[in-house]
Amino acid sequence: MLSVIRSALATPDLRKKILFTLFIVVVYRIGAVTPAPGVSYENVQACGEQIGDSGAQGVYSLLNLFSGGALLQLSIFATGIMPYITASIIIQLLTVVIPRFEELKKEGQSGQGKLTQYTRYLTIALAVLQATGVVALAARGGMFQGCDREVIPDDGIIGTSLIVLTMAAGTAVMMWMGELITERGIGNGMSMLIFLNIAARIPIEGKQILDSRGGAVFAVVCVFALAIIASVVFVEQGQRRIPVQYAKRMVGRRMYGGTSTYLPIKVNQAGVIPVIFASSLLYLPDLVGRLVGDPTDADSWFQQFLQTHVVNQSSPIHIGGYFLLIIFFTYFYISITFNVDERAEDMKKYGGFIPGIRPGRPTAEYLHFVLGRITLPGSIYLGTVAVLPNFFLSVTQEGANQNFPFGGTAVLIMVGVGLDTMKQIESQLMQRNYEGFLR
Amino acid sequence: MALGRAPMRTRVGKRLRRIIERPASVELTKYEKLLPAIGEREDDLRDRSDDDLGRAARELRTDGDFSTEQLIEFCALGREAGRRALGERAFDVQMLGVMGLLSQHVVQMATGEGKTLVGALAACGHALQDKRVHLISVNDYLAKRDAEWMRPVFELLGVSVDWVEPATTHAERKDAYGCDVTYGAVSEIGFDMLRDRLVTKADDRVLPRPEVAIVDEADSVLVDEARVPLVMAGSVDAGVVDEEVAKIVRRLRLGLHYETDSDGKNAWLTPAGSSVVEKALGGIDLYDESGAERLAAVNVALHAHALLARDVDYLVRDGKVQLINTSRGRVAELQRWPDGLQAAVEAKEQLPPSDRGEVLDSITVQALIARYPVVAGMTGTAVAVAETLREFYKLEVAVIPPNTPNIRVDEPDRIFTSPSQKLRAIVAEISQVHEEGRPILVGTQDVAESEELAEKLTKAGLTCTVLNARNDAEEAEIIAEAGKPGTITVSTQMAGRGTDIKLGGSAVDAAERDKAVELGGLYVIGTARYPSSRLDDQLRGRAGRQGDPGGSVFFASLEDDLVMAGAPDVPEGLAADDDGEITDPAALRHLNHAQRVVEGANQEIHRNTWRYTRLIERQRSDLLTFRDEVLLTDTAAEHMRAEERERYDELAEQLSEETLAQMCREIMLFHLDQLWSDHLAFLADVRESIHLRALGKETPIDEFHRAAIPEFHKIINEAKDSAVKTFADTEVTDDGVDLAGAGVKRPTSTWTYLVHDNPFDSDAEQALKKIRGTLRKKRR
Repeated sequence: MLSVIRSALATPDLRKKILFTLFIVVVYRIGAVTPAPGVSYENVQACGEQIGDSGAQGVYSLLNLFSGGALLQLSIFATGIMPYITASIIIQLLTVVIPRFEELKKEGQSGQGKLTQYTRYLTIALAVLQATGVVALAARGGMFQGCDREVIPDDGIIGTSLIVLTMAAGTAVMMWMGELITERGIGNGMSMLIFLNIAARIPIEGKQILDSRGGAVFAVVCVFALAIIASVVFVEQGQRRIPVQYAKRMVGRRMYGGTSTYLPIKVNQAGVIPVIFASSLLYLPDLVGRLVGDPTDADSWFQQFLQTHVVNQSSPIHIGGYFLLIIFFTYFYISITFNVDERAEDMKKYGGFIPGIRPGRPTAEYLHFVLGRITLPGSIYLGTVAVLPNFFLSVTQEGANQNFPFGGTAVLIMVGVGLDTMKQIESQLMQRNYEGFLR
Repeated sequence: MALGRAPMRTRVGKRLRRIIERPASVELTKYEKLLPAIGEREDDLRDRSDDDLGRAARELRTDGDFSTEQLIEFCALGREAGRRALGERAFDVQMLGVMGLLSQHVVQMATGEGKTLVGALAACGHALQDKRVHLISVNDYLAKRDAEWMRPVFELLGVSVDWVEPATTHAERKDAYGCDVTYGAVSEIGFDMLRDRLVTKADDRVLPRPEVAIVDEADSVLVDEARVPLVMAGSVDAGVVDEEVAKIVRRLRLGLHYETDSDGKNAWLTPAGSSVVEKALGGIDLYDESGAERLAAVNVALHAHALLARDVDYLVRDGKVQLINTSRGRVAELQRWPDGLQAAVEAKEQLPPSDRGEVLDSITVQALIARYPVVAGMTGTAVAVAETLREFYKLEVAVIPPNTPNIRVDEPDRIFTSPSQKLRAIVAEISQVHEEGRPILVGTQDVAESEELAEKLTKAGLTCTVLNARNDAEEAEIIAEAGKPGTITVSTQMAGRGTDIKLGGSAVDAAERDKAVELGGLYVIGTARYPSSRLDDQLRGRAGRQGDPGGSVFFASLEDDLVMAGAPDVPEGLAADDDGEITDPAALRHLNHAQRVVEGANQEIHRNTWRYTRLIERQRSDLLTFRDEVLLTDTAAEHMRAEERERYDELAEQLSEETLAQMCREIMLFHLDQLWSDHLAFLADVRESIHLRALGKETPIDEFHRAAIPEFHKIINEAKDSAVKTFADTEVTDDGVDLAGAGVKRPTSTWTYLVHDNPFDSDAEQALKKIRGTLRKKRR
């Protein structure tokens, strides 16, 4: 590992790329902790501490996680890159509905360029919307429930619009930084920024455990965390390789059968999306309850059920439901993203086949069968990794939640991005005649 | 004041627009300022003798760059040389073109503006700056024609010039490349380079160190040709033809036994088709591991049967299959299909099989051009590919205005529902225009279409001349007469033909010319839109040269190949009149969209070719460093001596030191080249299926590198080991060293392969496709 870094740094243009990425990272982190103008830094800190102790940040915690804690700091990057992610999803979806978008998408790079442009505009619009929401919530005291300090002392129209503008501009800057990393740095910029946001939480959370539970527990947590990460790395690299032969050319003397022509299916083919779907869905009842019901009327049976079984992350119903939802979403997501018929059709067109299996329908059925088999352990793995923190961290610390960076979503995302980036560095290194290091 | 401010404001506005829009072209204002100074030298030079001119040119010779004064002097000399040698005084815009080429740009000059002279003068300019110039053109015919045509100009300026073509012998080739300026087709120069990389004696190399490349028809060479790498293949043994398979496949029927996709790139068996084939082959299973060999033969035969059409993709001439280069509508001499396809086509046409080949080496046009430290180019349509030129070649485009403004009338496209209605309308249009006597040029898509149209025209009582791959030797004559009143010329693709159509025909007859002008000049009809708007413009550009009148119109149908390939979902509810003509603007929009999709896909192929060949080029250059060492020094002999001391000493007694060293060298080089050829085959194999890796969320290009790099590192050691083994086995007979007996056999002939890459699967968005599919179903 160290030798990798050494050889990466010894290659001039790779070094330049890595240093550039680090530079953007530093700029970004400074921004993430710089409070927006008009926000009372003191009060935000005090409220944050109060909330952190009580563990009541449930609803926004996912958002907060993705913004690297910038949201609850009300910093200039409070809205983070979520608007960009949402905007790209919306534009992607619109290509289905709007013929003009569909046409652009098909027109290769020039059309894609225009779509990217639209995505940027939409990002700004969404950022303004989200920033308005954040500011309104914070000004009304809704962001830190139970904390009665004024986080935005001047809640007049000019003061608040200044904050909204700042945050929206912050999102635009982050979008730009992401693109810069993709273009001139290492890895995919947007993924990198998300990775960074999550990684930035690790020291903070670690210190909290150390402070509240003492060194022994802290050490145990560290060991467990490392074990989880190691096993996630292991499973993430697991794949089933279905041999494929292409018989479109009459090849000469040498046959290279088997070494490199295969169709890989990952054990965790669905990635992290099912976990995000499931956890979002579990937050939904709580959110609805808050919006519809009267929060003070805590005695209604609905509220009580909600609080004890759904919101409470250590309740067996919550854990069980979460686990089952993840398994369901894994199957669902794979069924819509891995189109076996199309794959079989493509292979047939280009003269490929799986030895022993006829092209067309039989191939599609075979792929479907393999996919179904491999998805079961895959989904169970996803579910396990996701609920692990609920099990064992609730024992060690009150108020620890799903988004604790050593478990669940966070670790899945971090490992995923980390592996991708490593592979990219490795590929660039190999091109410069270095030996590979990822085995 | 007001007067002064307006231009100022527009100038600032222009600057601003340039910054914001990142325009596709650069300014040439700094050279425009030199034009008056060049004009002033004209009278003085006119009175000098030819010898004086030559002397003046010699005085300009420098081993550095021209200063501004030298540049002015050179341009004036060049203009005078052109006037004396060809009777053509170069216009100011041509001088601008020369300076654009000297400053390493791609200059855009319309057809008929005298690009050939511009290219020649720029070549002289570089040559006088003590650099060797290669003037790279699209085809051999143009290279030879231009070199011969411009020779007097070069001679006046004291610059030596020659050209290469496929028939040029080895010795002539060496001389040609020894000249200051060498004209040659891109493929010719590329193959010379590939051949140079395979020589076994250092003296056999023909190409000097690359210095300056001026590319004629730059868009054709740098963009269209660059999609497909230049591949050199050598024959290894006699081709084998699976007659049995060919016979079986001939009986298969489209739809029932096999299917093809809409863009005609792939064909595959249906379940019914494969059981028919399996039964006919004696009840084997094509799809188990053992059937792969047979299956490949079936697939190749099916490809030949279903996708390659006689007279569209190839001609049968003199008992041989000759490929047609579809982008140029010419016969591609010495080109073949790879991987057994050639033999399959020959079997289809029941011709004897030609030798089977293997890829020896390949290079992309990009890598070829990148070897030249100085590159410039010229073409009629550069702005449309400005982005590509910048991305792949770091070249900027400079637009040279025409000498006299273009007054050609481009009529709007006429779109029809079906090709048959379109054809009827084309014939009607031709006969109507022909009645007035106006000369007509029809641009068709392929040989078959040009012949079909010619037949239809003959039936309608019109005489026409056909220009296609079948008779491209007569090209010059046909084109020369195409501007004569009353002529109808039906041609295939005109891009890269580089010949001007002069109004009134070849005879310098003012009356004929005036008549043609009066009728409205040349009328160009396109029978379908080409795969890029640039090619459309190339065809249109044949009319209205040098300020002549002219007109153009394109016909299209919504079932044209272009629409089928780019956007087969034609919007519904487009109303057509009785003749099938659609005037709804949505049809035109759809047509343009289809063209853009195809352009985008082609650019993607280009980009992929580049991405995937970059590593290969790198590995090749690494290997060549070692190869050069073997070629130029006695490394091989030393290695053999170290490894096989006894054998070496034994041979040293029988053979002279030189012969022995050459023998070791040849053995080592043979194995190196063989292993490189194997490596290329391996990479082609990996490449074919690497896109599947995207399914496992891996990046195909990274995985490709991961597979390619370790394999490459084995080559040099393996070559050394095998060479030692061969060395030990080699017999020395009375006739000398029997290398062939030891298996060291060099390919007897070489030719080029036509390689097309499969466009890659886009990685994701399966979910969207699914949603889109469901929505579609619901709508119906």
